[in-house]
Amino acid sequence: MTLKVLTVDDSKTIRMIVKKAFQSYDCAICEAENGAEGLAAATKEKPGLIILDITMPVMNGIEMLDRLKGDPDLKNIPVIMLTAESGKDNVLNIVKKGIKDYMVKPFKGEDLIERVRKIMPLESKTEADSAESKPVKYFTQVEDIVVLSLPAKVTRPVTVEVEGKLQAKVQEMTAAQLKKMILDMGGVSETNLSLIKLIIASFQQCQQAGIAVKLVANPKQSEELKGFQETSQITVSHSIEEAKAVL
Amino acid sequence: MSDIQALDLKGFVTHSVKSVFQTMLSVEIELDNPPDKEGICTNGHIVGTVGFAGAVMGTVNLFVSRTFGREMTAAMLGMTVDDIGSDEEVNDVIGEVCNMVGGDLKSRLCDAGLTCSLSIPSVTYGNGFRIESKGWARHEQLGFRNSQHSALVEIYVKNGN
Repeated sequence: MTLKVLTVDDSKTIRMIVKKAFQSYDCAICEAENGAEGLAAATKEKPGLIILDITMPVMNGIEMLDRLKGDPDLKNIPVIMLTAESGKDNVLNIVKKGIKDYMVKPFKGEDLIERVRKIMPLESKTEADSAESKPVKYFTQVEDIVVLSLPAKVTRPVTVEVEGKLQAKVQEMTAAQLKKMILDMGGVSETNLSLIKLIIASFQQCQQAGIAVKLVANPKQSEELKGFQETSQITVSHSIEEAKAVL
Repeated sequence: MSDIQALDLKGFVTHSVKSVFQTMLSVEIELDNPPDKEGICTNGHIVGTVGFAGAVMGTVNLFVSRTFGREMTAAMLGMTVDDIGSDEEVNDVIGEVCNMVGGDLKSRLCDAGLTCSLSIPSVTYGNGFRIESKGWARHEQLGFRNSQHSALVEIYVKNGN
């Protein structure tokens, strides 16, 4: 059964490292950035494990721990403290509150997993789970126009994957005499340099194959694109319909 | 309770900075002469700050160049520098590194009988600004260096309540 893990830390970096540590295991990670959000998430999600920081804004980890232990529905959820504070008295006082383990930052993801394994079994993800976690469908077709839906977050490995798929799709389009493509930024959550490089590479691939291409982005993304020299001159449409009309 | 003049602040902080860089970033960093702040600041810099207050009061400032800050972020998040989405990620990493160094120092102070609480880290970044603190009983500057970059850690301490 999938283990729900709640990571409560005001640092997004730490939450990402915790998330990454559990990615090979059959776990669902939920996140909260302070004790108040952590309590709300614990009540809603009923996690099987909480990884808890101490120094956080709004409500610190000690207060959250006290409230957890005072709630009959939540008091039995195992808690591992993950904090930069290691003073002896501090650790002893917190251990007395009934936590399962106390881990001091800096830490490595594998060390965290080792600590977790000491208090509960962790099941590795099956191959089917792993495949399910990354279903990717980049291309759809609207009449004679192929739409490439750009991924939420573009990183270098994603760029390599999308460029490879685009190359195959361009060949397929050439064979089918399809000459129009739309790059849709509708699902993009972050405008970064890898995304910009992917947009430019996509435009170049299409233009070399004689395919007309238009970019669709919302007004905020359009402004962000203007901030990059490479995309500052690209004319952007604000909807698929608008892009179709000008293709 | 210990005398703050007798505390091995340099030893505490050197150990924690090296440990944080090695464990979280897989970067070996060595103690070096404190770098010139102006040198770090040439193309923009980032300063992480964390404070502690109680029987002893103080702050820890970590100065790195923008370039080093981005490389630290990429190392900590297991990505390339090109994949860093925004300054927010860099600020969070610098804040967290500072929190770990400050948290370790706070713990050592508490163990020495100087009970204090740690603040949430803050991060300042930009070009051409200086941070100076006055009125402290002790001020230590520690320089660190890896193969390409320098970092400066400043510690300010005085007696508290």
